[in-house]
Amino acid sequence: MLHKCVALKSDALTEFGVCSKDLSVSILMSLTCVSFQACHSETHIGQYYTLPSAHIRTLFPSGLPWRYQQQVKTFNEACIMVRQPSLEVISYLKKTDYSKPALRYLFYGQKGTGKTISLCHAVHFCYTQGWLVLHIPDAHQWVKNCKELLPSSYNASRFDQPLQATTWLRNFRLTNERFLSKIKTKHRYMWTKREFTEEGSLLGELVDQGISRVKSSSDVVGAVMKELRLQSGQPGSDFHLAVAVDGVNGLWGRSTIKKEDKSVDPEELTLIYNLRKLMRNDWTGGAIIATLSQTGSLYTPKSAYLPQELLGERGFDSMDPFIPVSVPNYSEKEFESCCLYYMDRHWLQHPQSRTEEGKKELVFLSNKNPSMLDRICGFL
Amino acid sequence: MKAALKLYSEGVFLVRWSRYNPYYLEPEVSKEAYSRPATELSAEEKEQRELKTLRPIKAATSGVSSSVFDDPVISKFINMMMEHGNKVLAREIMTQTLENIKKKQVEKYHKASEGEREAIECNPYTIFHQALENCKPVVGLASIQKGGKYYQVPIPLTDNRRRFLAMKWMITECRDNKHRRTHMYEKLSQELLAAFGKEGNVMKKKYELHKMAEANRAYAHYRWW
Repeated sequence: MLHKCVALKSDALTEFGVCSKDLSVSILMSLTCVSFQACHSETHIGQYYTLPSAHIRTLFPSGLPWRYQQQVKTFNEACIMVRQPSLEVISYLKKTDYSKPALRYLFYGQKGTGKTISLCHAVHFCYTQGWLVLHIPDAHQWVKNCKELLPSSYNASRFDQPLQATTWLRNFRLTNERFLSKIKTKHRYMWTKREFTEEGSLLGELVDQGISRVKSSSDVVGAVMKELRLQSGQPGSDFHLAVAVDGVNGLWGRSTIKKEDKSVDPEELTLIYNLRKLMRNDWTGGAIIATLSQTGSLYTPKSAYLPQELLGERGFDSMDPFIPVSVPNYSEKEFESCCLYYMDRHWLQHPQSRTEEGKKELVFLSNKNPSMLDRICGFL
Repeated sequence: MKAALKLYSEGVFLVRWSRYNPYYLEPEVSKEAYSRPATELSAEEKEQRELKTLRPIKAATSGVSSSVFDDPVISKFINMMMEHGNKVLAREIMTQTLENIKKKQVEKYHKASEGEREAIECNPYTIFHQALENCKPVVGLASIQKGGKYYQVPIPLTDNRRRFLAMKWMITECRDNKHRRTHMYEKLSQELLAAFGKEGNVMKKKYELHKMAEANRAYAHYRWW
């Protein structure tokens, strides 16, 4: 039985979510739910929330994990399970006083427990509330495998990464179309002797400048971050800023980029330097949501997952104080819900996987870890 | 009997080439066989159980497991794909193949209209088994010498031989005749889906073998067994 619900807030995007799919299995509800206001309370833990496909294309051009993107393509829909960590962060975001400095939320947990998906869930919430989303899909990509490294034009001791900066600006433009023509810059920026951006020009022009002039794109990124940081929370501006960084421990770790056989410190990279400034809580009117990640990180042991271990001393001191949110493996109820969802989408095909014995085996093999369960159910 | 049952406890025991005394019985791995109460069993099965309590039992190979998802055909296919003993890689390829097949079929299922949905088979295991069935040849050829010349004589094949030929053709086809840069799981899934629909190079090979056997029908009486 399908019914569409309209969001209750009129000034937010009129987003109609999708269906509550009624599964006639008696054990547990695996209802997919819709509009945020109705569907994100404690009772909805374990149920699936469908993200509208238009939102996926604009919000997450590259923010979702690879396996999840494949799943979205196969099932022809994007469903996220409502879980305790993201519910917690969303409830805090609803209640915060935005005249105070930005709060920092940090998702941490073992490998494969769903930190990135929780981050995407919280980011989607911010997007539906009409916030400006500054999403860095993976901070580790900025400290490794750099093909082009130019000396920065602004500061001689730093290095620019034009490729990463231009891709990020393109994604930023795609996500925040509607803000580009509303926000005006407060400073004047000189790119070269002849090119400059006047005070009071639109943010869209600044972003286009960065995309077309590849050499100065990293500086444009820094300028965009500075502008947004200064303007959010001011009485004149009407937007909230959500900064979402995946793999935030990469900002304070080491990098594998080499310049003439000398290893480059992340501090010497313009992008990282500007992002670190953004992570400080000296601005108001928004929130910073981040995820730790050991999988992409460099020179960290595989067993490390706690904030203290992954952020290191410098990182922890910069991020302190923050709100740590632990993302555990699935509970019994969530595991059942996941299995029911896969069966509903015709993903669990093996006849034995629907029996009790099969379920017990899945619990044993995956240890209720979301990514392991996904991999195992892939070939069953 | 007792003299033949030597104790193997001294020294290093080479398990790979060991030949068990025929006195040893085969192991029963599945849990269901043991969960049936004594009342349900027929007389022979009760006798078997009695025998199992008395006689020694061979060690189970590492390829079988008591998992409900264990499939002997799939295990055999993995063993045939394995090179240099790299079972981990062969298993990985097999699981990726099954996942790939399922992904393609489920995508097709979700995009199809209501009427077409029943015709689409999503279970990768049924697709695999059906594709292998479709590839199994009915008759084979044997080289038999008669009067100084060798003739290709059509002969009946045992089940094991048919299954072996189907799997062998599938694997060699995917290894040799496909584009170099595609992954093995991609090649295998394409070929298996084609064989499921009774098309593809492996089916062609089977039909050619059948044609040869039909052409050489006249020599069938050269077979003496």
